Amino acid sequence: MNNSYKGLRKTALVAAVTALGLLITGCGIGSSKNSDPLVIGISLPLTGDFAQPGGAAKKGYEVWASLVNEDGGVLGQQVELNILDDASSAEQVVTDYNRLINQDKVPLILGTFSSLLNFPASTVAENNEMVLVAPAGGSPKIFEPMPKYYFFAQQATAPRQAEPFVNYILSLPESERPKTAAYATMDDPFAGPVIANMQALFEAAGIKTVYSKVYPPETTNFQPFASAIAKAKPEIIAQGAVFEDGVNLAKGLIQIGYSPKAMFQTSAPSNGAQYSDAIGLANTEGIFYAVSWSEKAPTPMNAEFVARYQKLFGAGLVPEEDAADAFAAAQVLQAAVEGTGGTDNPALADWLRANEVQTILGPLSWDEIGRPQGDFLLAQWQSGEVNIVAPDVAKTSNNLIFPKPAWTK
Amino acid sequence: MEIIQVLSYGILLGGLYSLLSSGLALIFGVLDIVNVAQGAFLVSGAFLTWQIWDLTGIEPILLIPVVALLWFGLGIIIYRTLFVRVAPQGPSMTVLLSFGLALIIEGALNLIFGNKFKSVQTSYSLQSYKLGEINFPAPQVIASLAAAVVLVLLYLYLKLSWAGRALRATAQNRDGAALIGISHRKISSFAYGLGMATAGAGGVLISVSYPIYPATHYEWISKLLGIIVLGGMGSIPGAIIGSMLLGIVEAAGNTYAPQWTILFFYGVIILSLLFKPEGLLGARSRKDSV
Repeated sequence: MNNSYKGLRKTALVAAVTALGLLITGCGIGSSKNSDPLVIGISLPLTGDFAQPGGAAKKGYEVWASLVNEDGGVLGQQVELNILDDASSAEQVVTDYNRLINQDKVPLILGTFSSLLNFPASTVAENNEMVLVAPAGGSPKIFEPMPKYYFFAQQATAPRQAEPFVNYILSLPESERPKTAAYATMDDPFAGPVIANMQALFEAAGIKTVYSKVYPPETTNFQPFASAIAKAKPEIIAQGAVFEDGVNLAKGLIQIGYSPKAMFQTSAPSNGAQYSDAIGLANTEGIFYAVSWSEKAPTPMNAEFVARYQKLFGAGLVPEEDAADAFAAAQVLQAAVEGTGGTDNPALADWLRANEVQTILGPLSWDEIGRPQGDFLLAQWQSGEVNIVAPDVAKTSNNLIFPKPAWTK
Repeated sequence: MEIIQVLSYGILLGGLYSLLSSGLALIFGVLDIVNVAQGAFLVSGAFLTWQIWDLTGIEPILLIPVVALLWFGLGIIIYRTLFVRVAPQGPSMTVLLSFGLALIIEGALNLIFGNKFKSVQTSYSLQSYKLGEINFPAPQVIASLAAAVVLVLLYLYLKLSWAGRALRATAQNRDGAALIGISHRKISSFAYGLGMATAGAGGVLISVSYPIYPATHYEWISKLLGIIVLGGMGSIPGAIIGSMLLGIVEAAGNTYAPQWTILFFYGVIILSLLFKPEGLLGARSRKDSV
């Protein structure tokens, strides 16, 4: 009895220790799965020339991480963003991604901002067989080396940004359709192809080019451009602008009082109050630009994105388009990780080529070399706010202003 | 007529560049410091102007004396706390110090004002004056006139005041100036302060002409360095002539062949240095001279 009691006690002790051991080990396994964060490496231009879009992209990524972590993370792991500053330098962006991949050993990376920086970043990603989903970087040059791991997370590549505007102009009755156009574009891998494609499409449709110039990014004085354009008397003015150049050309045109029938600029008009403060709210009326996102869009998660952005960065603030693009890029990566059930990058790339992803920009899908297959939205400043005027499915206003009203001095 | 329009744009641009580059030339002339932080001081002056305008709605041009005086004081503090320790170690160390300062200022502006463009709107921001078919954009006309007034005041001060004469004496012959009792330390901090005061005044002027953004200091300093190299390092009249010349080259480039403007801008500098390595009005120096 005594022996059997001792034996029972010994068995119970062993069982308890084993159970405790299993419990601890089990907990250990569990906690290693759930408490180790899923680190995503990102390089962004937080200082230097692209600090503005870079800062906005950082906010977009942070909003995504905040919402995802609140919802339990990705595959049960909390997301942690490891963001480095590339100072808007093409050399530094290479150093940053090499460090993230080879030194910090991050399992996943997300893209930086601008074609200029994503181009070198994509070569690092290709060399290391890491998927790079980029929120900006639709320049055709990026796709020339036929990348396998680069995915541009907007609706279409740069040249196709012009198409909604071209389609609108060409849809006008012959009697109303402008006959002449002037083109000025920054020598920029994103803005340049937009305007080059627009010019080709308009010329093919019989719209005569009366002015066409490319200028370097350092250009700050646009009065000479405005004078030369006004002298050519175009009915359409299209500018491949980033921001300051767009504002300065518009101001130059206002100062000399030349207003075309239609004006299109890339990027600059998408900067909300910064743009309207610079040229005057009344002067924004009727200006067109192509855009990837609208805060009013009824896309899944868009309302949550806007609400969380305002919670994190200020009530009433309208998120920048660049922030929305970064959020969408992160959504794409999340979908691929959840779709494949892991972080095997070649598998993620295969999955993205084969699947459509729902984002706040709308559904995105890609061809074999990571080019998106959708269409941009056409936006227009109307009565001090931005509305989507094409395509029909994304319209936020049925009103469309044409011809553009005269400038207000 | 187009040529006259191009010349008008160029002269207006050159007028603004004259003030912006004169401070850089002054600092180099007296201190042998290539102050690459000058662009950052300029942009921070513009941000200060924007902030005061945004809060009060005051006409920005009226802020020239305020910002210039503040920057003068700040310049003296910066020189006495930082440059005075580093200057004896040679020009390369002062370049490094001023570059570090520029980066710190850019970072501080990013933190304070955010990564966003700011624009000062005045009643004349979108106006232009017309003379026949020639347009004169109002902000550029006003900025150039104000720059001319500041430059004339600076010239009179350097010409007529004791401090100005002491400063010019130091620029011409440091040892000789010391022999007649001019304190190099005092005159150096004064010169640095004066150089910064022109950056403060220039900052006010660029705020009425361009959208401002922290990182734009790189563009400004690269242009201004080109101008003073062309004019002759350390020569204020040389900086003014260089400004006018390069303003006209830039306006002509932007009108006829914008993609080559930068090449024209720096090409003129390289060409002139081939024939006159000391710059247009720079003094030839000999290493063996005393």
